[in-house]
Amino acid sequence: MLAYVIRRVLIMIPMAVAISFLIYLGLDATPGDAVSFMLSPEQMSGANPERLAELREALGLNQPLFVRYFIWLWGLLQGNFGYTLTGGVPISDLLARRLPATLELAAVALVLSTVFGSILGIISALRRGSATDNTLTVVGMVGVSIPEFFFGLVAITVFALNLGWLPVGGRSMPQYITFWDRLPHLVMPSLVLSIMMTAGVMRYARAAMLDALNKDFIKTARSKGLPEWRVNLLHGFRVALTPVVVLIGFRLPALIGGSVIVEQVFQWPGVGSLFVLSVRNQDYPVVMAVALISVVTVLVVSVVIDVLTAIIDPRVRLGN
Amino acid sequence: MALADIPRRRNRFDRRFDRIRELEEAGRLKHPTGSRLLRKFISNRLAVVGLVVFSVIILASIFAPLLTPWDPTKINLRAMLQPPSWEHWLGTDKTGRDVFARVLYGGRISILVGLGSAVVSAIIGVIVGCYAGYVGGWFDAICMRISEIIMAFPELILVLMLVSILGQSLSNIMIIFIVGGWCGIYRLARASMLSLREEEYVQALRSFGLSVPLICFKHILPNALGPIMVNITLSTAAFILAEAGLSFLGLGVPMNIATWGNILNVAQDLGVLQNNWWIWLPVGTTISLFVLSVNFIGDGLRDATDPTQQG
Repeated sequence: MLAYVIRRVLIMIPMAVAISFLIYLGLDATPGDAVSFMLSPEQMSGANPERLAELREALGLNQPLFVRYFIWLWGLLQGNFGYTLTGGVPISDLLARRLPATLELAAVALVLSTVFGSILGIISALRRGSATDNTLTVVGMVGVSIPEFFFGLVAITVFALNLGWLPVGGRSMPQYITFWDRLPHLVMPSLVLSIMMTAGVMRYARAAMLDALNKDFIKTARSKGLPEWRVNLLHGFRVALTPVVVLIGFRLPALIGGSVIVEQVFQWPGVGSLFVLSVRNQDYPVVMAVALISVVTVLVVSVVIDVLTAIIDPRVRLGN
Repeated sequence: MALADIPRRRNRFDRRFDRIRELEEAGRLKHPTGSRLLRKFISNRLAVVGLVVFSVIILASIFAPLLTPWDPTKINLRAMLQPPSWEHWLGTDKTGRDVFARVLYGGRISILVGLGSAVVSAIIGVIVGCYAGYVGGWFDAICMRISEIIMAFPELILVLMLVSILGQSLSNIMIIFIVGGWCGIYRLARASMLSLREEEYVQALRSFGLSVPLICFKHILPNALGPIMVNITLSTAAFILAEAGLSFLGLGVPMNIATWGNILNVAQDLGVLQNNWWIWLPVGTTISLFVLSVNFIGDGLRDATDPTQQG
């Protein structure tokens, strides 16, 4: 087991290094003086050209590309992402302020899509070929075909502008302190974000459940005379659940991409809207920092999921 | 006692079998003719509906000048934000441009971006994948690493990052989609190459001394075409959604070109959202319908080309 974990991590590290190097190349090639995002505004304002040249030398910016890359990487590992081009705010502060909002939204959407998706998928599988199954399949297709932001716009128009039940957007007002105060703001963004993923989970859950129901141990359970619900839920569902949970890893890129758009639609103050803002302002250090963080998250989660699968299913770690 | 002699109630399968036997005895049972793929596709009702909707929308965008007299880019400040009327079927937008004309002409660009990027990335993916999968070696290893790196990025993050570096233009958007999109088909083509190259017929071709490209593209590729076609339709749907999303964020095709996403961009304004439904609701519905029809076609193709589902 340990050998498997070590092997997976060892495969991941060169990937992460290669990607971070490419991102650094992008950062290096884009306009904007490297000094300006490595220094705070106070240091910049008090500096004359000679002082800047000295700083440049001290920061290693006159060194060859590889050395500069390692200096940058070393800074990253210590949590130093540099300063934004617009405003000169430390990027790590920005991220620390916005990350909780994104994580909150993503976590709720992940839970909602897992719960709804697996329930609907299992209903679909248990009534295979029925009208319910066909309707759910078509509804799932509709769900993945409608752009998330269009869903969001319709939801805002109906529930916020016309009915006035929910706030138009944003995350919280100053007097809102607890999670429950913020809940109305969370309802629409998280539901809209979960729609596409729910449809995906439903599809996988249906296939996994059908697969599980065809296994021999289900016949055994049935022939023991167990009631049908027990066979389906305790024996079938438990086996079908594993691929569904593993799917969290596959859903992560969709979740990150989706949250960029959904945060924009609902003015949710998370990393996604920061990313869009930075792309608009061509604030490359922030763009690259967010891109790097999202890639590293995807890589780490995929390793974690692989290890979890290996723990659940010994065939994975013993095979090849 | 034979199984058939056991007394039991007759069910619907017996009745269906009787009917088939009756037809056979009357000599009216025809052997199905034509392509099995086509027959299976046509028997899938949703896929046919999808194909019809898809064709209608594509034809409407191609023949846009015949369907509307308005110019999608002509600003008319005397006719701002008019609701739908006989003159302007879907009303006008903030600068008095006819929304119906913009939806039709916008479809041209949106479909070009979606379908064009999907087809080009499929061509690149198939060529690289077939060659790398059949030959293997260092070329394959390098391609594999590159595709792994690209696929580690969430799609939208990669696209937006490249947009920020390359800048916004129609061709840049397509290039960016292709850069991010060829990997899926490359993997697919490579995987089917790896499994097919050990087949006996390939060994026979090799022993005849046929060249590598000939074996790859003429003799192996047709056997792997089904999943590739399905993948092209699905990535068309994904690219159209991505273009709409990007343009909605204002980071896609430049705003002076009408595309479905660019038309929707104005809906970020809550006033427009509440009072001028004709600007954003019809075009959003059109995008959804088009993507849905492409997905239905893809699903129908998947069922029709899947050899494990005979019938």
